Amino acid sequence: MSTTEPSTYKPDIPSDPVAQTTANIHIELTPNALDSLAATRFVRSPSAGATVLFIGTTRDTFNDLPVSSLAYTSYAPLALATLHNIATTLLAKHALTRIAIIHKLGECPIGEESIVIAVSAPHRQAAWRAGEEALEETKKRAEIWKLERFEGGDGVWRANRDGVMGVKVGEGEGAA
Amino acid sequence: MAASKAPAGHFSILYFAAASTFTSKATEHLSAPVEARDLFSKLEALYPGIKDKVLNSCAVTVNLTYIDIYGDEAPDLEMVIKEGDEVAIIPPVSSG
Repeated sequence: MSTTEPSTYKPDIPSDPVAQTTANIHIELTPNALDSLAATRFVRSPSAGATVLFIGTTRDTFNDLPVSSLAYTSYAPLALATLHNIATTLLAKHALTRIAIIHKLGECPIGEESIVIAVSAPHRQAAWRAGEEALEETKKRAEIWKLERFEGGDGVWRANRDGVMGVKVGEGEGAA
Repeated sequence: MAASKAPAGHFSILYFAAASTFTSKATEHLSAPVEARDLFSKLEALYPGIKDKVLNSCAVTVNLTYIDIYGDEAPDLEMVIKEGDEVAIIPPVSSG
């Protein structure tokens, strides 16, 4: 399911990053440009022989339609808790050394980083697998929403689980 | 994003993504208590059409914990949303 937003819509986003950091987990939601090097530095460790870094950037099309801009909004306290839960689970499951998950909030220009995931582990197999799983779990569960604005049209709230074009919200809108 | 503190006898409700579009609000205060089973019909009365178009594909949290109110046998139908609680309508997510 997704619905449309008028082109004037401005998402409500925190002006400062919100983060949760422990010795081996760093979770952050930020309106600032994502720093993949900082994520890499956080997970690097002499006990880890492998570091895997994933950088997700925003695409300029959806089903061949040109996307002109994107914005992310979030239920920040719940998203932080969910991402921390994902990180804790993967840390144990794959015996990771460290993990960092950082997601962009607010306007995200096309072609720029929207998500950075870095994981480190003693050996490469665990790091590869955990990196992929961290991304898939985040896309499935983190309470973050993407608004895609199409050229010459309104915005559409995307839903990762259906991958189809949204349906317009019509009558009844704002009825209270 | 964070709701302002609800006045006496009310709870806060947060709307995200499509739910925010439909209500034209990010947050508001509604009168408490409400049984969880009545939450969607209460919202439907305020925003006709919201149940079919938005709520049926949304999850619900109360104080940052998901509740299960889908179907006649759902475990949290009798839960009571109390004064001061923070309820959120969670549409299908789309990070990444």
